[in-house]
Amino acid sequence: MLAQDAIQRFIEQIPPAPTVLRETLEHVSSGELVKAAKTAERDPALKSYLRSLVNRPIYGFRNEVKELSQIFGILGVSAAQQILYNYMLGLLSPASWSLFKLDAASFAELQDRLGRGWHAILLHLQIDDRETESAITLLPASIIVCEALFKAHKEEVTLLRSVKAIDYNTILQRLCRQDLFDVCTRIAETWEMPGRISGIVQAASGIKPSEDPAVNTLGKWMHLLLFYELSRPLFIEAGLNDFIDFQVEYVADIYDAFSGVMGIA
Amino acid sequence: MRATLKHRIGLFSPQGFLDGNNAPALLSVEDIRATESLNVEMLLVSLKKVIFFNRNGLDTFVKLLLHIRSKKRITVGFCDYDRKKYEAILKFYGDDLNFSLFRTQKIAELFCTSGNETGQNILVYHEDPSQRTNMAIELFDYGHNVIIAQSREEFNEKKQNPDAYDAVIEDTHLGFFGQRIATRVKGNAIIYTIGNYLDAGITESFNSAYHSNSLNVGFRLFIFDAHKVVSMNIHAMNFFARLASAAAEYNATICFVGLTFEKTPESFKNELEDAGVLFFDKMEDILGDRKLLAELGGSIAASRKSGRALNKVLVNALPHFIDATVDIVGMMTGSKAVKEAVEVSPLTLTEKSDRIAASIGFYGDIDGMVILLFPKGIARKACELLIGEATEDEEEILDAIAEFVNIIGGKVKSILAEKRIAVDITLPRTYSDIDALLQVVGDKRGVRVDLAFQENRFVFFLTR
Repeated sequence: MLAQDAIQRFIEQIPPAPTVLRETLEHVSSGELVKAAKTAERDPALKSYLRSLVNRPIYGFRNEVKELSQIFGILGVSAAQQILYNYMLGLLSPASWSLFKLDAASFAELQDRLGRGWHAILLHLQIDDRETESAITLLPASIIVCEALFKAHKEEVTLLRSVKAIDYNTILQRLCRQDLFDVCTRIAETWEMPGRISGIVQAASGIKPSEDPAVNTLGKWMHLLLFYELSRPLFIEAGLNDFIDFQVEYVADIYDAFSGVMGIA
Repeated sequence: MRATLKHRIGLFSPQGFLDGNNAPALLSVEDIRATESLNVEMLLVSLKKVIFFNRNGLDTFVKLLLHIRSKKRITVGFCDYDRKKYEAILKFYGDDLNFSLFRTQKIAELFCTSGNETGQNILVYHEDPSQRTNMAIELFDYGHNVIIAQSREEFNEKKQNPDAYDAVIEDTHLGFFGQRIATRVKGNAIIYTIGNYLDAGITESFNSAYHSNSLNVGFRLFIFDAHKVVSMNIHAMNFFARLASAAAEYNATICFVGLTFEKTPESFKNELEDAGVLFFDKMEDILGDRKLLAELGGSIAASRKSGRALNKVLVNALPHFIDATVDIVGMMTGSKAVKEAVEVSPLTLTEKSDRIAASIGFYGDIDGMVILLFPKGIARKACELLIGEATEDEEEILDAIAEFVNIIGGKVKSILAEKRIAVDITLPRTYSDIDALLQVVGDKRGVRVDLAFQENRFVFFLTR
């Protein structure tokens, strides 16, 4: 079905981060939001993305915010970095989805929900760190990788899954000795994302706990957050509920605290 | 979400959070409808990967499960939970708990015809004495030895010695149960346990598809354990007479054990004997007498004497069978197949060592049987994908092979459906002993295709 070379082909096709985007990120990382706004002006697609994002009802502005300098000011350093990474991931998303019933809007909604949930978690954990805040942006890359690798094998996977409740991540691991999260790490490397980000996302797979206790704890919260969001009807219907295996035991010790943060009765 | 099928249990495995909002997305009417053709004995929802559920979420599932239970007379409920989840379900439903709860899927398998080894020693405890008794009766009907603990203290004490039991059952609840006739396999004999008053309802509670499958895959002795039958009426008698006539076509034998004629007309016995049914007082009279067992066909799975020839429709469908096999073996092993030889002949094998086999029957617009002979190397590779590790355990390998041929059967079924040929597939049967397979096939002619997957030789045989 799937072989190592399919993964290799996918990795080779990961585009490098566009120059404007990379420079904008560099400015954001050094806290220079005015310079970041000026750089972002050079990319009309990025400009349009940021405008439409900030003018969504959730931000609650009565008048349309048009200026990028204003937008970066509103977002602040952490949120701006997260949004730029989300935009970068969007460049890797397929034009049309076939394995999962997703589209650009529903994928963006997932990114957005994960981002907000992660923000609430980090507030609860009293973690104020840009890299950790941005780690959540890499998590949905696992869905993009899964779509890309398995879309041509939909029928075989359906047959296999008719006799065994086996998730895509496990199938990939057993066939190719690499999993979706390993490929995410390769994406992060190509895009020069900080190593801590892929470390947290690897732990969030639920099957590769980190030796660093702090990273491992963040991995648990992220794993549980992912399944909290994937339990929403929109994403269940998209076929995402079982794309990876939920490790209940892995998150058992943080469940009560998670329920408190998310307000689960 | 679609159910997976293992042995005769359909299993839904939702993950994450379950509430009234998302339950209809996790389990829909279409998902339930899709299980109708699977011929399952049980339909369960696994709670293993569910971290949170509430009453509204469970209610949505229960409603759908109860609907199919009333339609198909199968056991429905939940499995794979811990004590906390079990107590939550008991609290939600209290006296209205009319579905089943099995602490694990393995425990659920003990209560159905799953190909489980019979004669297991099982320790049972439930706070409710009637539940304890029901479980003991059911397990006994499936051929197990049941040890009932009468109190929690006694249970805890007995549990201290886990080596004494093959299975320990607690936190389990039997809902509306026993609607199907209990079935177990003893050697090459199939034993059905029947009881109470037998009437026209027997046609629904008897699993005809399972019986036909058993005939197709070579079982020749069917024993009805009738010790608990109070009486039977003319409709039930006619049903058994028809069953005996159909069995005669396969040279199979139907026996009754322990049937009394106090409330059943003595004339029924004569009529059933005329149809070929044999009567015995005790099970031991058959199972304990090797010579008689061999005469009745229970010592080996014999071949059908009146074999049927291959026909044009079946030969036309052959490429679909081959393609499905090649695709699935390729998927499981990551290698490409080369077709080496095709011939129409009886199945003969010079190389029998280091081989295992599996067969699966199909019936409907066309009927026949596919036999696959695997080198153990391929079987082990298939196992690796399904269970995630290399294993030498023969039972695990055979189990994986059964699932593997099930996938092939499923693929053939969907390909044929596209060509407007409707077929159903039977349960797969596996053989670790190739001679036993050759006895089943006998001298029947079929299409034999030799396939090579890298250095491995693989035989595909299609017959009727």
